Amino acid sequence: MKTILKAIFALLMGVATVWSYKVPDIAQFQAPGFARIFLWHFPCPMLFTFLLLSASWFSIRIFQRITLKPFAFGPETNAEAKAKWDIRAVACMELSYIYALLTMATGVLFSEIQWGAWWSWDPRQTSFLIVLLIYAAYFALRFAYVDPAKKAAHSAAYGLLALLPTLFLEFKFPRLPQIEQLSLHPTDSILAGKIKGEYAQCVILILVLFAIMTVYLYNLRVRAGFAEIELEKYYGNLETNGSDPTPTGVVRPVSLSE
Amino acid sequence: MRSMSGLVTGFLFSAVTVFAISFASLNTKLSGTVVAGMLWVALLFSAASSLPRTFLAEEEMGTADLLRLVARPHAVFWGKALFNIFQCVVTSTLLSILYLGFTSAAVPIPWLFGLSLFAGCVSLAGAVTLCGAIAAQAANRAMLAAAIAVPLLLPLVAIGVGGMRTSLGDGALSSGGSASAIGLIGYAVATLATGPYIFAAVWKT
Repeated sequence: MKTILKAIFALLMGVATVWSYKVPDIAQFQAPGFARIFLWHFPCPMLFTFLLLSASWFSIRIFQRITLKPFAFGPETNAEAKAKWDIRAVACMELSYIYALLTMATGVLFSEIQWGAWWSWDPRQTSFLIVLLIYAAYFALRFAYVDPAKKAAHSAAYGLLALLPTLFLEFKFPRLPQIEQLSLHPTDSILAGKIKGEYAQCVILILVLFAIMTVYLYNLRVRAGFAEIELEKYYGNLETNGSDPTPTGVVRPVSLSE
Repeated sequence: MRSMSGLVTGFLFSAVTVFAISFASLNTKLSGTVVAGMLWVALLFSAASSLPRTFLAEEEMGTADLLRLVARPHAVFWGKALFNIFQCVVTSTLLSILYLGFTSAAVPIPWLFGLSLFAGCVSLAGAVTLCGAIAAQAANRAMLAAAIAVPLLLPLVAIGVGGMRTSLGDGALSSGGSASAIGLIGYAVATLATGPYIFAAVWKT
């Protein structure tokens, strides 16, 4: 069954790829044929944002028993449960970072062909680069802690702290009046309904396929993380023979001269 | 506060930065945007290098565990944040006076300059206090605190430059200057409102 689903997915991805080459050109671009990179560029920041919000939600779940009472929906009672929320959060963060890199890569390619430079300090490009730096710091923070509980709590705190600046940089900053006039990047394509017809259908198909792939990759990452926890538990039990490590009832007397 | 090292280090770092910038732009008339940008870069690096010390010093001197035992997390956060705000405001005020003196820049809208500086300092101090707490127990804590604080503060710098350049005569008050000031106040309020909760979550971990 799983093989059939994977085959259908691969087939649809092939159809989307071919379709993305067949959609009509958009005349107002400098290189109309290349404007179709939008079809692959657009789903990346959308999924990046969704994964980031999911990671923030999982971070709140790590904290809920400590302080955030308004968000306490159900108690997590042990370290293992928190470790599992941490794995979910970091899975989302890792995937979101991949999408952020893809967004930047497709954006830079578009910039070179349409605007004539790989990097033109366009406010939208620059603000997204800052977002990339913010989340690079998230991974640097994770590497700096060895203890899993501290790693989970401190990186979750940073993830929550970084959410507001990230949303500002992604959604508000490029639309500030004094910034918008400096940018070549369109800001109202979706809201003004400029993406329509075959372009809209194709981009929706690619977005859905990317979303399915994301769910699949997320599940793989989370399952691998959970398996790691189980493995650690298993080795821990081997060390202590599954019971109290201190043997009871037998004490060997040791003389002070020894 | 016990050794005043943060205040002295922060001021010295900022003063050296100001001298370096002024020396680099010798005999050049700088625009309001460039002056604002340079000043904010100096403020950013001064804050990122000196303010996290409040928590790093507690861990290095071994007094953090005692604080964890005797004080509530919210009280610790507010104590550290208020001290950092004070330190940042004092350093930034002295730094701005020096900088404006060296560059001979005029300030046509002084209230906007003051508001941008004060709200910027509160935001910087709030965010860096949290970053200091987050990095305090890590291995390479001093470098890590600055590395995680600087990217987080870049949006703040962008808003701050927007407000300050208007106060220095580049751009009209209605075309973004007042919006930047409101943005800075909003950033400060958001940081200080969520800060104690996020801090409490990591403090006793």
